[in-house]
Amino acid sequence: MATDADKFLYVDRNMVNNPLAQADWATKKLVWVPSERLGFEAGSVKEERGEECLVELADSGKKVKVNKDDIQKMNPPKFSKVEDMAELTCLNEASVLHNLKERYYSGLIYTYSGLFCVVINPYKNLPIYSEEIVDMYKGKKRHEMPPHIYAITDTAYRSMMQDREDQSILCTGESGAGKTENTKKVIQYLAHVASSHKTKKDQGELEKQLLQANPILEAFGNGKTVKNDNSSRFGKFIRINFDVNGYIVGANIETYLLEKSRAIRQAKDERTFHVFYYMLTGAGDKLRSELCLEGYNNYRFLVNGNVTIPGQQDKDLFTETLEAFRIMGIPEDEQIGLLKVVSSVLQLGNMSFKKERHSDQASMPDDTAAQKVCHLMGMSVTDFTRAILSPRIKVGRDYVQKAQTQEQAEFAVEALAKATYERMFRWLVMRINKALDKTKRQGASFIGILDIAGFEIFELNSFEQLCINYTNEKLQQLFNHTMFILEQEEYQREGIEWSFIDFGLDLQPCIDLIEKPASPPGILALLDEECWFPKATDKSFVEKVLQEQGTHSKFHKPKKLKDEADFCIIHYAGKVDYKADEWLMKNMDPLNDNVATLLNQSTDKFVSELWKDVDRIVGLDKVAGMSEMPGAFKTRKGMFRTVGQLYKEQLSKLMATLRNTNPNFVRCIIPNHEKKAGKLDPHLVLDQLRCNGVLEGIRICRQGFPNRIVFQEFRQRYEILTPNSIPKGFMDGKQACVLMIKSLELDPNLFRIGQSKVFFRAGVLAHLEEERDMKITDVIISFQAWCRGYVARKAFARRQQQLTAMKVIQRNCSAYLKLRNWQWWRLFTKVKPLLQVSRQEEEMQAKDDELSKVKERQEYAEIQLQEMEVKQHQLSAEKQALQEQLQAETELCAEAEEMRARLAAKKQELEEILHDLEARVEEEEERAMITDLEGRWSAHTMLTKLLLFPP
Amino acid sequence: MAPKKDAKAPAKKAEPAKAAAPAPEPEVVAAPPPLDLSTVKVEFTPDQQEDYKEAFGLFDRVGDAKVAYNQVADIMRALGQNPTNKEVRKVLGNPSDEDMAGKRLEFEAFLPMLQHIVNDPNKGTFDDYVEGLRVFDKEGNGTVMGAELRIVLGTLGEKMSEAEIDALMQGQEDENGSINFEAFVKHIMSI
Repeated sequence: MATDADKFLYVDRNMVNNPLAQADWATKKLVWVPSERLGFEAGSVKEERGEECLVELADSGKKVKVNKDDIQKMNPPKFSKVEDMAELTCLNEASVLHNLKERYYSGLIYTYSGLFCVVINPYKNLPIYSEEIVDMYKGKKRHEMPPHIYAITDTAYRSMMQDREDQSILCTGESGAGKTENTKKVIQYLAHVASSHKTKKDQGELEKQLLQANPILEAFGNGKTVKNDNSSRFGKFIRINFDVNGYIVGANIETYLLEKSRAIRQAKDERTFHVFYYMLTGAGDKLRSELCLEGYNNYRFLVNGNVTIPGQQDKDLFTETLEAFRIMGIPEDEQIGLLKVVSSVLQLGNMSFKKERHSDQASMPDDTAAQKVCHLMGMSVTDFTRAILSPRIKVGRDYVQKAQTQEQAEFAVEALAKATYERMFRWLVMRINKALDKTKRQGASFIGILDIAGFEIFELNSFEQLCINYTNEKLQQLFNHTMFILEQEEYQREGIEWSFIDFGLDLQPCIDLIEKPASPPGILALLDEECWFPKATDKSFVEKVLQEQGTHSKFHKPKKLKDEADFCIIHYAGKVDYKADEWLMKNMDPLNDNVATLLNQSTDKFVSELWKDVDRIVGLDKVAGMSEMPGAFKTRKGMFRTVGQLYKEQLSKLMATLRNTNPNFVRCIIPNHEKKAGKLDPHLVLDQLRCNGVLEGIRICRQGFPNRIVFQEFRQRYEILTPNSIPKGFMDGKQACVLMIKSLELDPNLFRIGQSKVFFRAGVLAHLEEERDMKITDVIISFQAWCRGYVARKAFARRQQQLTAMKVIQRNCSAYLKLRNWQWWRLFTKVKPLLQVSRQEEEMQAKDDELSKVKERQEYAEIQLQEMEVKQHQLSAEKQALQEQLQAETELCAEAEEMRARLAAKKQELEEILHDLEARVEEEEERAMITDLEGRWSAHTMLTKLLLFPP
Repeated sequence: MAPKKDAKAPAKKAEPAKAAAPAPEPEVVAAPPPLDLSTVKVEFTPDQQEDYKEAFGLFDRVGDAKVAYNQVADIMRALGQNPTNKEVRKVLGNPSDEDMAGKRLEFEAFLPMLQHIVNDPNKGTFDDYVEGLRVFDKEGNGTVMGAELRIVLGTLGEKMSEAEIDALMQGQEDENGSINFEAFVKHIMSI
């Protein structure tokens, strides 16, 4: 399994180390020149004439003249397909593009560029997201594994656990670049790695819900665009909370800038939000009548009718969405409420107005659609119709009924449809958040995943682009600042003195131009201000901007006449032309507050919930006041919030969150606009690299010492350039490098020596690499000459041997030729075989003699043998006799031994008897003595008796 | 007898390759000024000259007492010199590839060329080569893979043909296919 995935993860190093490519690069002096078709083409410099160079293109062999400044250096092949482009020694657009392209063509979609992880949409399924791969990346350091979104996620997760610091992963890129897909992979990874198995049931549900949040959001927030079949039409920040043990305890989703206008209008071949199609295709008969659904072509808001997406079954997805609702814990009545709102959005589009014949007023001849809307949203048709056609408007201190024109009524309905959809979307997000946040456990830290559109530069750009570009400007500032901090840390760690200017400050002027509240007010502030003014128009707004900010360094007045644009802003990604049409409207986003009030009081609980806060919307009076009633705006000053304001607030909240996290940057890139695998449009990619800050990051890199190489590697690779500079024997890495650099005579400004690495300015390593190649080639050529000498001499020695052998053969041949016709020789050759015969007898004789001699010797030997045999017999007989004797002796001996043993036993016995007897003797003696005494005593007594009592 | 034939074969095969290899050179380096061989003073002893003549004769495959241009390098090498192909071309007056294969040279013209090469010999030293090969020592243990060395010699500089490399590397690789390059260089420079 893993081996299949390997080729989509690892570079085939055999190809990279191909010395042939190395040789090519060194000898041909390859460079990059700009090309219409390919972005850049490889070529070799033939001639340099002042500012111009003559370059021969490598592929076509054509020679072109190129300005010196347009030439970009090519990296040595050693750097081919590098995993981290910050290692490139020639950091330029061409090399970055080339590297990404080469990797992409080899199926490697992830590449690092310093802090960034760049990913190019492969437009096909790669086997690199399986659980095996997740396990492979688990707990690995970034540099240990090939680039992958998992590596980024794991790094974020580990550093959250280790440093107890909140993390964020920022995915940006154009539509179709793969932001959402990669975001999903991040969540998948975290759900896999950070789920606790102990309480599987409870946790499992949360993770399931976390994963199910996406299909719901996609159903309601995604649509098919020309670029992308499943394009997210909103930005989102998903915050996943973890407890101290690193287990997921909850999540929270915040969304940004939903493209609500998609609900009412779509470009050719595009779809509105998926959910409309899911519902229309998937709903059963009962549901259809409950929701008052009609055919695709009956809806004016479905401009393109039923557009299908290849390989996607809207019907199945409807069931899946409902299933996701269920998992998310959204009850059936709320589901129906949601779908009713979706249906009513469509119905709103079918309301049509006519201009009355004798006035400008709008009328609604057919109110079927209005009835359906009111049925679905729980309003009275009369109130609703009146609110649309002749709403009450506050003028000064009084309310008046004001009839609407057809345009105004149509605008109101469209605005209503958009607002309804947006509110429903927000409610949905709120509901999902409620579901994801139900665990009571305290989250200790979080990982936030931002999935938001990247920089946009169209030919003419509107308010939406300003918002998104403003966001990206802020995000880039965050990136620059992070990078600045990290660089500073690295330099400090290595003890290198180098004062950086905070690159984050680079972007401040442009940000100020947009967001500064006063002195001078920025564009958003001016727009708000203009919204307050009566009689203000988009044009007066532009004039005001020109007046206030005309001299700003990041601001450009368009050249009149030619340009359609109203003004330009120099963003970090490039100059962007803005057209201010409808900005005031877009910023105010006005809504018929009469209808809003009706909806707020709707009998449908769900609808009234959606419209519970209606006091902050920009009402009709504002719009009306702007066009005809001066002074009206003042009455509600401060009550409503403009889109710009709200967004600025939302963004600054997001930035505050992000600033407190450790950010990880993912840059998604769309390779082509045809949704085709394996194709990469160089200009498209270059534009994106410019927009997403990869090139900006590189620019910053170049200010410092972007190439770092550890001492040992430096020495191993370049020692050949400085022969004899390092004395034999041991020398520590730093000292050796110091000596080497000294003998290389590098400009002190080109390098710094740190604690463990040597730091180089961009391009220095390429130069060293080039010299190294020259040197190696020189040595190799010289060595090859020796080798050829060796081979030639070996061959020559053989040839000389052959020559000698040949000379011998020649000599013999010529001798033979001379003899051949000499009669004596011929006689000799004739006679020679006969000579053999007489000699044979002699030989026979000799052999016979020999034979008899041998016979004699043999006889003698036989006799001797016999003698020996006899002797041997005798000896063996003797031996036999001796053996027998020995046997007998042994037996005797054994007998004697036995006897001795017996005697000894007997002796023992006797001794014992003796002992006994002695004991008895003693006893007897004792007894005898006693008897003797007794005898005496009795005698004595007798005597005494006799004496005393004489008989 | 068999190995002798083998030994001869590479030398023959090598020739077309050698002729092809230096082809890109004129592109890279401007052709050096033609060499004036008439200023070269031949300082060989008569004995030496006799030996050289004999060797020279060995390369004459036609019998006109001349050798082809593309054999000159090998003769010089057989006589103990180690010129690069470029140097040999230079003393031959930078002939075209066809001339290399087609033109023939007599001994009297050959002597000053040899003298020129002898006067300005290949100055590469044992240390140079060892250090140069060390670059390819991936493990840092004093060996290079034979396969790698083949690629290096066959693709870099004055590319050697497969036959030349085979003749060179015969019996140099150990059972793992690696070569101790110090010993290798020493061996190459010993003959």
